[in-house]
Amino acid sequence: MDKPQMIEHLHESVAYTVYDTKWIPLSAKFVVLGSKPNSHGILDIYELNEDKLKKVKSVEKKAAFKCGTFGASSLRNRHMAIGDFEGRLQVLDLERPEMAVYNVKGHTGIINCIDAIGGTQLECGAPEIVTGGRDGAVKVWDIRQGQEPVVDISPPAQMGDGVNRSNLRRDCWALAFGNTFNAEERLIAAGYDNGDLKLFDLRAMGVRWEATIRNGICGLEFDRRDIPMNKLAVTTLEGGLLVYDMRTQHPTKGFSYVEERNAGRSVGSNGVITGPKATVWTVRHVPQNRDVFLTGSGTGSIRLWKYEYPDRRVFQDADGNKEGVAGKLHMISAVTLSSQPVHSFDWHPDKLGLAVAGAFDQSVRVLITTKLNTL
Amino acid sequence: MDKGKSLLQKYHIPISNLDFGYVEKCENAREMEKIVMILRSGEEGYFPDLTRCAEEKLKKLKPDSKLFRTEEKIQQSNVLAKHELKPIYDWTNEIKNKDNVLSELKEEDTVQSLDLPPVRKTTKIDIDKDETETSKNKPAPKPSAKPQPKSTNEQRIKSTDYSKWDKYDPDEEILRMDLEQEREKEQAQIKLKNIINTKKEDQLEISEEITEQQRLNAQIAKLSQVEREQYAEKFRLRGNEYFKAKEYENAVREYTRAINFDPAQAARSYNNRAISYLKLNNYLLAIKDCEACLRLEPDNVKALLRLADANYNQGYRRESYGIYQRVLELEPNNTSAKKSLEQLRQQVGELAPAHATRMVIQELPSDTAPTTKKPEKPAISKSATPKPSIPKPATVEPATVEPVKLPKDYDLAELVKPNRVIKSKIATAAEALGGTLKNTNSIANAQKQQMQHMMQKVASAQGQLRLPQSTCSGSTNNKLLIQELQ
Repeated sequence: MDKPQMIEHLHESVAYTVYDTKWIPLSAKFVVLGSKPNSHGILDIYELNEDKLKKVKSVEKKAAFKCGTFGASSLRNRHMAIGDFEGRLQVLDLERPEMAVYNVKGHTGIINCIDAIGGTQLECGAPEIVTGGRDGAVKVWDIRQGQEPVVDISPPAQMGDGVNRSNLRRDCWALAFGNTFNAEERLIAAGYDNGDLKLFDLRAMGVRWEATIRNGICGLEFDRRDIPMNKLAVTTLEGGLLVYDMRTQHPTKGFSYVEERNAGRSVGSNGVITGPKATVWTVRHVPQNRDVFLTGSGTGSIRLWKYEYPDRRVFQDADGNKEGVAGKLHMISAVTLSSQPVHSFDWHPDKLGLAVAGAFDQSVRVLITTKLNTL
Repeated sequence: MDKGKSLLQKYHIPISNLDFGYVEKCENAREMEKIVMILRSGEEGYFPDLTRCAEEKLKKLKPDSKLFRTEEKIQQSNVLAKHELKPIYDWTNEIKNKDNVLSELKEEDTVQSLDLPPVRKTTKIDIDKDETETSKNKPAPKPSAKPQPKSTNEQRIKSTDYSKWDKYDPDEEILRMDLEQEREKEQAQIKLKNIINTKKEDQLEISEEITEQQRLNAQIAKLSQVEREQYAEKFRLRGNEYFKAKEYENAVREYTRAINFDPAQAARSYNNRAISYLKLNNYLLAIKDCEACLRLEPDNVKALLRLADANYNQGYRRESYGIYQRVLELEPNNTSAKKSLEQLRQQVGELAPAHATRMVIQELPSDTAPTTKKPEKPAISKSATPKPSIPKPATVEPATVEPVKLPKDYDLAELVKPNRVIKSKIATAAEALGGTLKNTNSIANAQKQQMQHMMQKVASAQGQLRLPQSTCSGSTNNKLLIQELQ
């Protein structure tokens, strides 16, 4: 076999619902965030020890944890920013998790998604955390500032807000920082439950671009967040996977993209992918190769994709406007990991092919992908 | 949707096409996919052989068809051999050390932190307000679509209003619509340009690059070794990505950063930057980087190959030749070096002055001829001391030799006047040859002695020796090059 192969290295069953899994940078440890049956939040730290996992630490808090990130913390302190079910954002020092370094009630409902940047990038602007919640708001936080977000992107108050909150408000499901290649430039891509995709420019403080996709957006990631934006991968309900070429913005057509409608399609008979379409929950680019990424889908499968650039990435249309050209997507490998959706996945930032995945079957898996360097 | 329809009807494929003969002939990949889908569905019955045949045909027509995407159950780590898991275990231990170093660092100086950029000024982006703004400035597909029908609605002429229809000029209307579109496009372009312009201004600021550099150096100085390595590695990987995407300028920039961060272990970054420079046809810088890499890792074959390539392209063919030979010393079976060497040998031959001849002296053990030697190759061999009837210029072709070491050309032109040999100087020349051999040669002494012995013979048996040009009387060659072979 000369193509990459995904292998389950270690498997750990837990007694709670796993919501997020993240490697601690420059370590052999990862964090599992979840919700206990009594809806308390739980944070477990596991360490890789050759062929077994050792639980190093376990922390319990009042509200269930939804999502976390190390993006805004430096290599030295490695604090974790966590969003919970009560709309609270806290930054924890994993050595002393009892007292939060920073704690703010940011949203009225669950914090669905979180992303952060600026921790390990030098000369790339302030460390910031962005959270998106069920209340439809997107808020950017700087932990050096008090209890107010530095940027607040909230939908306007609507009829029916308040006690009897209607479902009119959009639900922000996915967020990603990008285009952060110097001290000023910074973008946030936000995906909403109705398929809205918005690109907020934090330098110009406005909406740079927006589009609406057929289905609700579950996962978003720039291939690299700290370079002039290159590609944006978007996953949706009903098995959609779109990769936008973010190099060239056409004045009217926006960014071009390649779409794969069957990314979440499940396995039919004899292992051939022909079954019904399922949600693609997450997309994660390989930190060592930005053109290879993995999607985790609702059928419990994970799939490895490679983006192939076109011969020319830009062409001029008849009016002299530049328009981007999207490339092609190739599925490299697909395996069934679980019977439940695989909704969280994290590549180790420092080791090619090592990853941790969380699924709704209450288990965490450490995966090894071989031969990724051959792609 | 078409619940009642069978796949056959949906795809409009006649049932007669589900046939070995048709499958054999069919060249349309799309149709083949449909046939495979129908056969797999089993709606028309179960034909395992036909299905297989159709799948094989499809594989030929469209090897990357989505129908061949398969998914397997994940395998456990026991499928991996021990040696495949070992790197991961090793890595685990290594990273744990780094982890500990970092934790200690954290204990050391929690106060001292890198100077972070200031906190952003608090702002609010109002989504809806922005939407209206954008629709004014930039006709995003949705908003622009709405106002147009509205405006036409206002002016809509009733079908019965004949007086107005009389005044209606379709050409004018079309022109107006065109103009409107044009204006929208212009506005959109202006907006986009603004975005791009602000970007350009940023790039202008690069004139302050030097101060920037100093600040960066100060930042780097604050970092620990572990962190520096980490950053350097990140930049190097990013450079690799740019390189893969064929964006060589960006790749060079990233590699430069990597080198800045960790100069002591930058061999790979230098090496990669060298190849990026090669791709940019900047050979001098490529040579510099290869040399920097070789200083850190003297036996890096890749760097040597790149250095040779850069030298060649810069026009330093002899240097390039020498480097390729060094590669062969390190890796005798390096095919690319061999190939390039072969090419170079022809060209280096061409490089010699047009009127020069090259005498080839090949050394063979007295009883066994080296296998590499081509039988038809005429050479002055050791055992057969130069006979008076040395074959004419045929001996002289450089391409027939297989040198392993750097060949040195001894210009004996001064010694050889046209058709006349200065006897007294040949002996010293031979000695000089022997002497240089001693210095450069890695091969046994015996060979050297043989060489000297031969040269003495040459000197003593002067009467017998006729140099090539004396044999071909008509030629005007007055230069003799002896290519040293070992």
